[in-house]
Amino acid sequence: MTPDIRFKDYPLVYKMGDDPAWAKKEFNDTDWLAERGDTDDHIFWARAKLDLLKKPEGQLGMKIEGFGAFDVYWDGKYIGSNGRVIGENKPELPGSATSYFSVPDSLAQTGSHLVALRASQAHLPQVHRIINVGLSSYESLLRQPLITTAFMNLMAGAFLIAAIYYLFLYINSRVKQATVLIFAIICLLFFSLLILEYIKYYVRIPYTRFFLRLELIGWITFVLAMLVPLYFSIQFKFKWKKTLMALLFVSLVSIYIYYYRHYDTTAIYYSLAMWGFSLVIVFTAVYQKQKGAVIVLIGLLLRVLINQYLFYDFSLFISFCLIVLCMLYLHSIQMKVIEEEYQSSLLLSSKLQLELIKKNIQPHFIKNTLTSLIDWVEESPKEGVAFIQALADEFDIVNNISEQALIPIQQEIALCKKHLSVMQFRKEIHYEWEESGIDENELIPPAVLHTILENGVTHSSPLADGSLKFKLSFSSGVDYKQYTFETFANNRVKIKPRDGGNGFIYIKARLTESYGDQWEFQSNENDQGWISVIKIYTK
Amino acid sequence: MRVLIIEDEARIAKRLQRMAASFFEQSSVISICDSVQKGLAYVEDHEIDLLLLDLNLNGENGFDILEAMVSESFHTIIVSAYTDKAIMAFAYGVLDFVPKPFDEHRLNQAFKRIKSNSNRTEPLKFLAVKKAGNVKLIPIEDLLYIKGAGIYSELHLRNGNQELHDKSLETLAQLLPTSFERIHKSYLVSLALAEKIIIQPGSKYQLLIKNGELLPIGRAKYKALKHKVI
Repeated sequence: MTPDIRFKDYPLVYKMGDDPAWAKKEFNDTDWLAERGDTDDHIFWARAKLDLLKKPEGQLGMKIEGFGAFDVYWDGKYIGSNGRVIGENKPELPGSATSYFSVPDSLAQTGSHLVALRASQAHLPQVHRIINVGLSSYESLLRQPLITTAFMNLMAGAFLIAAIYYLFLYINSRVKQATVLIFAIICLLFFSLLILEYIKYYVRIPYTRFFLRLELIGWITFVLAMLVPLYFSIQFKFKWKKTLMALLFVSLVSIYIYYYRHYDTTAIYYSLAMWGFSLVIVFTAVYQKQKGAVIVLIGLLLRVLINQYLFYDFSLFISFCLIVLCMLYLHSIQMKVIEEEYQSSLLLSSKLQLELIKKNIQPHFIKNTLTSLIDWVEESPKEGVAFIQALADEFDIVNNISEQALIPIQQEIALCKKHLSVMQFRKEIHYEWEESGIDENELIPPAVLHTILENGVTHSSPLADGSLKFKLSFSSGVDYKQYTFETFANNRVKIKPRDGGNGFIYIKARLTESYGDQWEFQSNENDQGWISVIKIYTK
Repeated sequence: MRVLIIEDEARIAKRLQRMAASFFEQSSVISICDSVQKGLAYVEDHEIDLLLLDLNLNGENGFDILEAMVSESFHTIIVSAYTDKAIMAFAYGVLDFVPKPFDEHRLNQAFKRIKSNSNRTEPLKFLAVKKAGNVKLIPIEDLLYIKGAGIYSELHLRNGNQELHDKSLETLAQLLPTSFERIHKSYLVSLALAEKIIIQPGSKYQLLIKNGELLPIGRAKYKALKHKVI
């Protein structure tokens, strides 16, 4: 495609003062200066020669990038203003840093032309920014930013939705995950970055505010450059997270100081630092064969390719976009893991429920109970009836608690006592039950103490005096609650060492279900028989 | 009848004791042990005729001692809640498996087997023999014939080896499948291995078995055997 327009521009020349004749094309400006000089709040003129080599199809347009307020003359003819030049008793109205003008057809012939600016820069006079005059078709001057903005806003919108979605996800999820919040913030910041970068096309920014926008963009990039590696380091469980983050922070601050007020350069180095540090983390993750690490690495390396082929502005955003996509991918992997964990926890919960119900129908319990029961009924019907009543009571309690993950401690104690009265009929041992310090408001996973009690009944024989006592005590501290379950009896000699078997698996699974890893369970022989301790951490 | 009950449920142990006492009536000695250890110790020190064994004692697997018990001279009857273990128990050579809960009638059925001469139909798979302090399981297929030797029995195996079993020929006969036939007061043979009956002069009968050995046939047994061996 051949360009729509071709022109040659010459350097601008400046002169302080104000003379309408300076707008004329034929005026001899050979003694004018190449620098604006110290104009303070005075009016100055700038002139630039342009050779229009090829005329555009439609109307000719002119784009001027520069600080200050100015009137624009094309070959001596006034064609428009940007802001209002300072006048007597009239303050300057700052123009925008980029302004567009249409050149009347009658003046837009191929050949040499002259653009003259009658200008003032009353604000920020110390800033010497080059004034850049460019020609284009007026239509493309209007349309090009529109196309760019459309694409960038499309991208920004996607990130805004992602930010909102992940923010809601964070607020509403049971388990608050730092990575979700960080990701939401990254998306929001990236949205802001895109909006701020391209806001110049649709909001008139007076040159006095020009640096504010760049400053904001700089800080957003700074924060992003911190957050993205932080996200990866959390996600990939990077070992030296703190060291790396500190190093990154120092690097970013150094870049800020070293390239102070070189906004674009600063942003490039920020993003390079972010990229480099992320790469270190992701390389480590790939080495450790972590899920998703390879995909992220490919995403990061694509940036090199993009930088090679695209203009800086776009490449920054597109590579950024790639990184965020990588994070999104990682996040979906993590979501899958969480979902699987949740599913398996549900499965575990229903397994535990089943386990609890099974306690009273497993053959060893039910058949031995029934055999004893037959005997009681045959031999002494009255006690037989009491036995049946005790059994029914125990079944009732088990039924009531079977679907809960936590039950009042009193209910658990009632279950234990009922179980003892059933076992008393079977074993013909007089069991004693004692408790101390029980807090009625406490909750406990169902049948945990009951399981310890069952083990006690099975593995103990009465002391010489015929007694067999169980004692439950409760104590608590600043950050823990503790149940101590003691058996005062002789331990039966075992052929194989006693490891607690399925009972302990059940107890541990129940504790994990309700307290995560904030618990300890110990069960061992002691002088008087057996002691089991359940410690639950409350912080 | 000397009976040992190994059962950790006091009430059930008493029930077994009461029913055994009423079945065997006069001169029966019935003891109870409530753990595996006590039971093993008792068997070591006392002669018994019958063991009533629970398979789950104080949380310990009764199968661990079942092998040792079936290698002894006495019969073992399992009384257990775990009916799914019955087939396995029979494979090891128990006389009967009484599932819990049981009534007197069912228990008496088991007791009656001690006195009956009929073979069992439940598949016995091994014979457990004591050897150098350990218990060794001998698959039934490896048996050629069993020869009575006083209160013991000699197991003659296909590989030519011989093992000594603590159970008497009579006791083993009650455990072995119907394919085993008593051909002589001292010989128990798997008929699947019988080749033919050889009649010797003087009405002496002998059975030729697959490995070429000749075993004596009791005069009284000949008639019944004649139809069974082709």
